[in-house]
Amino acid sequence: MRRLSNSSMQNKLISIGKASRLLGVSIDTLRRWDLAGRLQSIRSGPRGHRYYHQSDIEQYLQNVDTIAQHWAEAPHAIEPKLEMYCQTRDIFQTRLETLQSGLSRISPLTTVSLITAIAGEIGNNSFDHNLGNWPDIPGVFFAYSIRDRKVVLADRGQGILATLKRVRPELTSAQEALKVAFTETISGRFPEARGNGLKFVKSIIIANPFTLYFQTGNACLYLKQNDTNIVIQKAKTSINGCFVTIGFEELL
Amino acid sequence: MIIQLKKFGITLVSRPSGKEAWLAFQPVLNGISKNEEIIVDFNDVVVLTPSWADEFLTPLYKRFNNRVKLNNTANPSVTATLAILTK
Repeated sequence: MRRLSNSSMQNKLISIGKASRLLGVSIDTLRRWDLAGRLQSIRSGPRGHRYYHQSDIEQYLQNVDTIAQHWAEAPHAIEPKLEMYCQTRDIFQTRLETLQSGLSRISPLTTVSLITAIAGEIGNNSFDHNLGNWPDIPGVFFAYSIRDRKVVLADRGQGILATLKRVRPELTSAQEALKVAFTETISGRFPEARGNGLKFVKSIIIANPFTLYFQTGNACLYLKQNDTNIVIQKAKTSINGCFVTIGFEELL
Repeated sequence: MIIQLKKFGITLVSRPSGKEAWLAFQPVLNGISKNEEIIVDFNDVVVLTPSWADEFLTPLYKRFNNRVKLNNTANPSVTATLAILTK
């Protein structure tokens, strides 16, 4: 009986609408993922509607970076789940302080201070550069897993190329723009004299046992302690805004 | 005079909050005497970023130049922020 009950629990099916709400992506996106084999559905009923195993969705939901990346990539996304979504800067600040508080229970001040600072700088950058210009969904995806030692941020903003092109019209690719953002003091909010946020992030990552993955458009970089060069690579998929994961495995 | 930054919060991260702190503090800054030192005390600040600091410390330095002194700057994010701002 127990085995039957467990099996039945594991095979509980949920509708594509419910899966869409749980994952924070549109039904169309789920259909595309299904066709691509990324998250496969079960066809059921006389019309062959798509259903999903609840266990598949729950497993998927444990990987905050996967959820964030898919949300950033989706052509037509919907607002993420409330606990991962900061529509305004005030909400982001509150969640950031919750992260800070959670970290302070298990890690030294150095980790608390620096991880919160780089997450805060990156998240606020999204608001600074997209205020009034969000292409579809305003705000940032912000989630973290203290157990997995990672913080994830994503936005569906204009991305670094579009932002920097206002002051550097000669930039033609996301790769060039990402390199400039991490190596030069420049701001897309000219004439304000600023633009050192990502240099700050870089300075912390390379001096501490942290890691950073940063993607904008089809350009990405991976940084870790003691890295001296910024190596920009072509990402497998493209996003309009930014997607970032910060890892801090070794310091805890 | 001593500016205790913790009175603005211990997580000093965004540009709007840095700008708001700068504007809110103007009446106090307008009242200080000529040649008086301005000591910025970072004690108990847990998180500082260049965004916040650029809206508060940068104009403070522009206005008062070498009369500004910094105290209790050992916090790692404070150190990292000051290193970036002075570049």
